[in-house]
Amino acid sequence: MIKLIGQRAIASLLSLLGLMVLVFFLSRLTGDPAVLFLPIDATEAMKANFRALHGLDAPLFEQFGRYVWDLLQFDFGQSLRKARPAIDVVMEAYAWTLPLALITLSLVVVAAIVLGSLAAFKIGGFFDRMVSIISLIGASAPDFWVAIVAIVVFSINLGWLPTSGVGTPLHWVLPIAVLFIRPFGLIVQVVRGSMLSALSAAYVKTARAKGVKNLPIIFVHTLRNAMLPVITVIGDQAAAMLNGAVIVETIFGFPGIGKLMIDSILQRDFNVVLAAIMVTAVAIFIMNMLIDIAYGLLDPRIRH
Amino acid sequence: MTIKHILIGALLASTSMGPALAQDNTDITVVLSEELDLVEPCMATRSNIGRVIMQNISETLTELDVRGNKGLMPRLADSWEDKGDGTWQFKLHPGVTFSDGSALDANDVKHSFDRVFSDQLTCESARYFADTELTFTVVDDTTIDVKAEPAQPILPLLMSLVTIVPSETPMEFVRDPIGTGPYVMSEWTAGQQIVLERRDDYWGDQPAVAKATYLFRSEPAVRAGMVAAGEADIAPQITEDVADNRDTDFSYPNSETVYIRIDQTVEPMGDLRVRQALNAAIEREAFIGTVLADGTELATAIVPPTTLGWNADLVPPAYDPDHARELLAAAEADGVNIKAPVEVIARTENFPHVTEVGEALVQMLNEVGFNASLRMVEVAEHEQYYSKPYPDGRPAQVVVAQHDNSRGDPVFSAYFKYHSNGTQSGVNDPKVDTLIEQATATTGDERAALWSELFAYVQNDIVADALLFHMVGHSRVGARLDFTPTIATNQQLQLSEINFK
Repeated sequence: MIKLIGQRAIASLLSLLGLMVLVFFLSRLTGDPAVLFLPIDATEAMKANFRALHGLDAPLFEQFGRYVWDLLQFDFGQSLRKARPAIDVVMEAYAWTLPLALITLSLVVVAAIVLGSLAAFKIGGFFDRMVSIISLIGASAPDFWVAIVAIVVFSINLGWLPTSGVGTPLHWVLPIAVLFIRPFGLIVQVVRGSMLSALSAAYVKTARAKGVKNLPIIFVHTLRNAMLPVITVIGDQAAAMLNGAVIVETIFGFPGIGKLMIDSILQRDFNVVLAAIMVTAVAIFIMNMLIDIAYGLLDPRIRH
Repeated sequence: MTIKHILIGALLASTSMGPALAQDNTDITVVLSEELDLVEPCMATRSNIGRVIMQNISETLTELDVRGNKGLMPRLADSWEDKGDGTWQFKLHPGVTFSDGSALDANDVKHSFDRVFSDQLTCESARYFADTELTFTVVDDTTIDVKAEPAQPILPLLMSLVTIVPSETPMEFVRDPIGTGPYVMSEWTAGQQIVLERRDDYWGDQPAVAKATYLFRSEPAVRAGMVAAGEADIAPQITEDVADNRDTDFSYPNSETVYIRIDQTVEPMGDLRVRQALNAAIEREAFIGTVLADGTELATAIVPPTTLGWNADLVPPAYDPDHARELLAAAEADGVNIKAPVEVIARTENFPHVTEVGEALVQMLNEVGFNASLRMVEVAEHEQYYSKPYPDGRPAQVVVAQHDNSRGDPVFSAYFKYHSNGTQSGVNDPKVDTLIEQATATTGDERAALWSELFAYVQNDIVADALLFHMVGHSRVGARLDFTPTIATNQQLQLSEINFK
C-alpha cells in the first residue's frame, strides 16, 4: 500500500511540474495584461510603466526563472488586479469552495448510494422508476436554469431563502441544492448499475439461502463489491467541485475558486491564475491519493 | 439535551440570521454587477471603482452636472480662473476635512496629482491628461495654480476626474481610502461586501442615507430579484429582459454609443462609396425594440446628445439598400474589389445581444453585395483589432465597439477615435486632425462650434464610421427610495443624491 502511494506521489509531482511549465507559458500567450488592466486609451508610457512595475517587460524565460524561484519559496507573487499576494486571494476563495464541495459531495454520496442501492434491489418497481426519472432529470438539468428557477421560486415568490450571498447558514441552502442535483443524478445511476450486477452474484444467492435479510445483503455484502466504479465517478465529480462550481458561484455570488479563476483568466491576472491552478492541482492530487487508498481498502487485489 | 431540542435550536438560530429583508431605516443596500478589485481613489474613473468611491468617499475639485444644465460645478474648489499662459488658479473651499480629521489644503491637491502621474503606481486618471504636462504651485493653503503645457482649455473639467487624497497617502495603492467625501469605508470583505458609513463631520450637507452596503452579483436576474425580494434597494445595470416592473425599473440613456469603426487603410474600405454603402445597408430602426431595448436612440455622433458641441442638424443615414447596391456597383466599375472579404469583429458580452446585433449587421451587409462574415472575440482579442498598432496583412476589418462618454466634452472621444494619431482611429484626414486640435485648444461657443463641425464632417463628408446607437441602461430602484438613475449612473452613484419617500 505504501509503495502504491509512493508511486502515485512521484507521478503526481511530475504532473505538477509539467502543469506549472505549461500554464505559465500558455497564459503568456493569451494577451498583454497591461492592455486589459489599463483603459483602452492608456498611453504607451502608462503601459510600459505597468509592465515594468510587474516585471512583465523582462524576457519570457527570465520571468519563468523568477517565477520558479519564487514558487520554491511558496511565493506566487502579487495579484495584478487586487495588489495583494496571489496566494492569499486564492486561499480566501478556497475557504468558501472547500466546505461547499465537501458538504455537497457528502450529501450526494449518501443519497446516491442509499437510493441507488434500493432502486437496484427492486428493479423495475415504482421506487426504481422514480429514482431513474429523478436521476435522469438531475443529470441533464442545466445548472444555470435550475439556479435561476430556484431563486425565483424559493426566494422571490415564497421568500423562504435568501437569493444569494454567504452571510448565514440559510444562504448555503440553494447553492448546495443546485450543486447537488447533477452529481446526484450521475452517481445514483452508476450505483444502481453496479449494484445490479453485484446482486446477481453467487455469493448473494448464498447469503439469501442462508436466510440473511435484505438490508444486510444490500449494504453489508453487496455494496462493498459494487463500490469500485462508484468511487471512480465520485472522484471525477469531486475534482469538478474542487475546480469550483463556476455557474453556481457566479449566480449565487459565492466567492469561490471557480469564479475567481474565470475572472482572473479574463483579466489576465497571471499570478492568481497560476496560484489557483497549482493549489487546485495539489487538492486534486490529494483527493486522487485518497481514492487510491479507498480502492486499496475495498479491493485487496489492488492493495497487494 | 435531546436531538429534537438541538434541531429546533439550529432552526431558530438560522432563522434569526436570515436574509436582510427590506430595511425601514436610513440604511440601504446596493447590488452591483462587478466587484471592486481595488478601492484606490486614483482609480475612481474606472466604473466599478467609481460607483462606490467617487464623490462618496473621495471628492474632486470640480463636478459635472449630469442632472441639470449647470455644466461644471464647484466641489472642493469654490472657484477657478484662467490666469493666461496655460495657468489656471483654483480656490479651495475652506474648512474641509478628510475622514482622518486632517484639513484639506493645496498641498493635498498637489500630492494627489503627484500620485496620479507617479511611475510607482498605475493610476487610471492619468490617461485623461495624455501628453499634457502639469505643474502645480501652492500659493497658499486654499489656493493652487496649475500650469498646463500645452495649454489645456478644459483643465477645470479634467479636474472632475481626479480625486483628492491627503498628503500622507503613500505612493502605492491603498486599501483604506481617506477622502473628504460624506462617507467613510467602514468594512471591506473581499468577495462579499463593502460598507460605507456617513461622516458626522462632513463639510457639506448631510446626506439622507446613513449607511450603504454594497454587494456584488454578476447575474442581472439575481440583482433584480434581490430588489424584488427586499434584499437590496438599488440594482444598477440590469438587462431589459429582467426590467419588467414599471414601478421600480428605470430606463435611461447610459452614455454608451455603439458604432462600427472602419479601418480605411484596407480595401475596399478606403473608398468613400463603399463606406456610404455600408451605412445605407444598415436598417438601424429594425434593431430597436427587437434585439436592443426600447428607448435606444439612433446615433449621429460618437458622443451622447448631452455632450458639448452636439450637432442637432445631423440625421442618421437612411436605410436604402438599392442605393447601397448602386454605390457598390459604381465603386466596382472603378476597380474597387467590393468582393474582398470583410470581417465584422465584435466583442462577446460587450452589450446585451451583441451577437444577434453582429449577425444582423452581417446579413444586412451581404444583402447589398458585401462579402462579410462575423467574428465574435473576447475582450483581449477585440482590443488587438480595435487599437493600434493594427495587425499586419489583415483583411478588411470593421470593428463593432461601444464607447462611453459621460464627461460632457468630446475631447475624451474625438482624439482617440478620429485623429490620425488616435489609438482607435481608422481615419487619416488632415482636416479632422486640425478640427480636433483647434477645438481642444479653445473654450466656450467657439469650442462647441468646432466640435459640431467635426461631427458633421466625419459623418457626412468622409463617412469615417457607421454610427449606430445611443444605448439605454436599466436599473431597479426599491419602492422606498426617491432616486432616479442618470446618464452618469454607469460611472458613479452618489449616495447623497438618494432620498427616502
